[in-house]
Amino acid sequence: MGKKFLRFEFLLLFAVFIIATCGLIYELVAGTLASYLLGDSVKQFSFIIGVYLFSMGIGSFFSKFFHKNLLNTFVEIEILVGLIGGLSSVLLFMLFESVAYFQFILYLLVFVTGFLVGLEIPLLMNILKDKVEFKDLVSNVFTFDYIGALLASILFPLILVPKLGIMGTSLFFGMINVSIAIALCFLLNKELKRSYFLKAKAIFSFVVLLTVFLFSDSILSYSEGKLYGENIIYTNSTPYQRIVLTHNKSDYRLYLNNNLQFSSADEYRYHEALVHPAMSIAKSVKHVLVLGGGDGLAVREILKYKQVEKVTLVDLDEGMTKLFKTNKVLTDFNKGSLNNPKVTVINTDAYIWAKTCTEKFDVAIIDFPDPSNYSLGKLYSLNFYQTLKNILQPDAAVVIQTTSPYFAPKSFWCINKTVMQVFPQVDAYHAYVPSFGEWGYTIAINGFGSTFNQVNRKADKLKFYNYQFDRFNYFTTDMISNEIEINRLDNQILVRYFDEEWGKL
Amino acid sequence: MKNGESYSKSRRNFVKGITAGLLLIPFLQFCSDKVVQFIFRLSGTNHLLGHRLWIKDFPKPSSQIQIPYLIVGGGISGLSAARQFQKKGILDFLVVELESHLGGNSSNGENQYSKFPLGAHYLPLPNFKDKELLQFLEEEKIIIGYDSKGLPVFDELQLSFAPDERLFYKNTWQDGVVPKEGNSREQDVEFQRFFKLMDSFRQGKGHDGKYYFDIPLQLSSDDVAIRALDKITMKEWFESNNFKVEPLFNYIDYCCKDDFGLGIEYVSAWAGIHYFAARKQDATSNKIDSVLTWPEGNARLASHLKKYTDQKTLKNHIIYEVKVENSKVVAKAFDDVKKISVEIIADKVIMATPQFVNQYIIKDRKEFTKEFHYTPWLLATLTVTDLADNDSFPLSWDNVIYDAKGLGYVYDQHQSLNQIQSKQVITYYHSFSSSDLKKSRKELYKKKEDHWKQFVFDDLKVAHPDIEECTEQMEVFLLGHGMVSPAPGFIFGEAKKQASKSIENRIYFAHTDLSGISIFEEAFHQGINIVNQILDETTLDS
Repeated sequence: MGKKFLRFEFLLLFAVFIIATCGLIYELVAGTLASYLLGDSVKQFSFIIGVYLFSMGIGSFFSKFFHKNLLNTFVEIEILVGLIGGLSSVLLFMLFESVAYFQFILYLLVFVTGFLVGLEIPLLMNILKDKVEFKDLVSNVFTFDYIGALLASILFPLILVPKLGIMGTSLFFGMINVSIAIALCFLLNKELKRSYFLKAKAIFSFVVLLTVFLFSDSILSYSEGKLYGENIIYTNSTPYQRIVLTHNKSDYRLYLNNNLQFSSADEYRYHEALVHPAMSIAKSVKHVLVLGGGDGLAVREILKYKQVEKVTLVDLDEGMTKLFKTNKVLTDFNKGSLNNPKVTVINTDAYIWAKTCTEKFDVAIIDFPDPSNYSLGKLYSLNFYQTLKNILQPDAAVVIQTTSPYFAPKSFWCINKTVMQVFPQVDAYHAYVPSFGEWGYTIAINGFGSTFNQVNRKADKLKFYNYQFDRFNYFTTDMISNEIEINRLDNQILVRYFDEEWGKL
Repeated sequence: MKNGESYSKSRRNFVKGITAGLLLIPFLQFCSDKVVQFIFRLSGTNHLLGHRLWIKDFPKPSSQIQIPYLIVGGGISGLSAARQFQKKGILDFLVVELESHLGGNSSNGENQYSKFPLGAHYLPLPNFKDKELLQFLEEEKIIIGYDSKGLPVFDELQLSFAPDERLFYKNTWQDGVVPKEGNSREQDVEFQRFFKLMDSFRQGKGHDGKYYFDIPLQLSSDDVAIRALDKITMKEWFESNNFKVEPLFNYIDYCCKDDFGLGIEYVSAWAGIHYFAARKQDATSNKIDSVLTWPEGNARLASHLKKYTDQKTLKNHIIYEVKVENSKVVAKAFDDVKKISVEIIADKVIMATPQFVNQYIIKDRKEFTKEFHYTPWLLATLTVTDLADNDSFPLSWDNVIYDAKGLGYVYDQHQSLNQIQSKQVITYYHSFSSSDLKKSRKELYKKKEDHWKQFVFDDLKVAHPDIEECTEQMEVFLLGHGMVSPAPGFIFGEAKKQASKSIENRIYFAHTDLSGISIFEEAFHQGINIVNQILDETTLDS
């Protein structure tokens, strides 16, 4: 009898040890994930530890309502903790891309895990209270509990995250959690009621966790992340491009087909320089057209002008605009601009759309990807700008992101010269964007009713652009190129210039 | 796991894996059974109806039409004649066409993703001197104006977009169709010498002040030394000029087949050089060797010409007899839809039909028609889910595979403004160049569908190894008499002269086979010239 009891007590105490380790691991996983994805690690860790401890308290409180089948309940909770805690990181990663209330889910998961772990210790003490002296019981349970916590906090940063990764770690500990439940089922077969049912549940949960774990494991070798040297928090391949969002310290970066689209640290420079010159020069800004720019950052700048009545954004990639309408991190960047009632998002091919469009616009902001291939090169052709002119009001302002005049002067001035064939007034300017380097724009006015130095309106609180256009349109000798051809569909000379200039970098 | 990429990768795979793995396991077997449906269609010119000219088992005419001018054949020559009639203010003419549509070799097909050519598919930039063609292009807004130098400005959307040509050579796609990369020094030198020679032929003029080589061909110089080139094959010329290297031989062979259907071994050297030297490349200051092209090929040009025949056409009608009777021309036509015959009484008839057809319609033409040879062609339009290759040079308008059997393929959606295409539609061209074209023609019709399907795949596999798995549809189009073939002695020979002669100032002939080379410009001028000739004679008569 004594021997058998020893085994019983030892088993349950071992379970306490594991529960404590696993519980802390889930907490650390949640904290790490939250600071990866949302930034501000001090805040995230602090909130998560707080919520976790609080929910353990709630769990402990509710443990007094359990009277019957305590051992069964204990094993069931063990299984549940393993399943929920183990899958929590996977779930959070999945939901991050599409759910606006991501933080709610994060804290909900932390709460549920904390609650279940909080239930377990009092339950265990209740199970053992008649079999062990109270003094021994309290001392043993808490000893194992705290040893487990220490073990977890040491293992997590030193071994687990480097070897298994966040997702692997939580899944691995989910499996350990569930295997304890399985072991208890078999060893305490007689003490448990309807143990076959518990066994089945435990084994099924284990299999689920193992399947997911093997999936995550097989992908470990895939190392696109090395390319970026930053933590990738989101990737998506739409039919048109591969979208990658990375996060490093306080900086988020968005890559489209491995080309940096923006860095959250300095994108305001790029977008203010893109939008405000044209917006201040144009005769009217009632109806603004944005081509490309599915990130909504240019639209954010446009909406700073109260005179704007309607913004039409045409971007080929629905995946992109949807992401920037729904993702919490990203809508924080664009201030929810794509959800603004003034904004209409059209997901179609801009060239084809412009050919058939019957509206006329006051301002056109062209933010296409660089002309790195022949398909994109069409969007910088003479015919494209002629097509664009047809949908502009007289004296409308047009601005085109025109790649870097420093790295690619031929490409830059090729676009500029092509635009000159179509619009009566054309100029160029540039701005320094640290993550891009020296970046350039071509600006045009569809008439003579305004000039580039005219400021017809201003937006408040800009960080970069000061409405002094003539401070931006001076080009040093190393950013100038002469003897440039016009880019037409039949020569696509721009793609060749671009390839030649960026290819040698 | 050192970074987030793997997590997010597993995130997606997790969703896919769980969904597919757990829920679809029982259905997986069905999926593997359901292969993508491959659709194959075989069609061609209406040779079955055409072949009834041999036995002429047509019913007796049951009605009669009277018309001053009758044009037989609705290809470019016939359509161009119709346009010229209208330009001259003559509206009382009728065009009779065997097929259910006009256009002849400038016809097209269409599937859900793209239009595609069923024959000729581009027009090189015209020579600046060719005012009639320039005027036509201006009328149809293909030329949108003239620049400060007086040169035409072509519509950007109708010039072949860049990149226009690539060649699969030494396992790599390279820019342009001239084999360049990886050549030896000797090969480079020969290419340079060849092109220099062609330049001098292009600029050269005979003692009569005319270009050695010009378009239309009849404007070329009658310089004896140059005309002598028509007596030998292009291969003989190649060798007698001490050219040796294989890539150059191969390149010239490709060019000859591209324009004439016949390869370097069988084609007249005069014609072969005409390909390089007749286009003066003087009509633009931009890209001088550019071409005009459309998804549907030259069917676009045909459709511009068609408007001159509105309400003036009989389609699905085969003319089976034409003769002069009581200073009128009597033509008998069989309506293949109603299965009745009709008699057409005309003052003048333009036979804008090839001579291999005319010999069955008009008496006493068999003898010289023997000298007319026509190359069979096979066109295959493929709809492909992913035209994968080794990415060494991007998909172009014209894609040639070095040393292949065929002439490569044209990317039919190349002139589209879209960023991407969900499916790619390409048209593969193959001409049956041989010493016995009749035999090739028999083979063309005798071999079964599967043979041609495999033939096309095998020829493309060199550059696109998995094309067979990626092809959803293939439409093969056979042209038994694809185009007239200028074998040595034909262009300046007696047969062509005989065949061009009008009969009793009543029956006239206009067709590219009377030029000797089958290109749009020749057909266009054949039509104009014949109408001018008829009207000049009429003016003289009165």
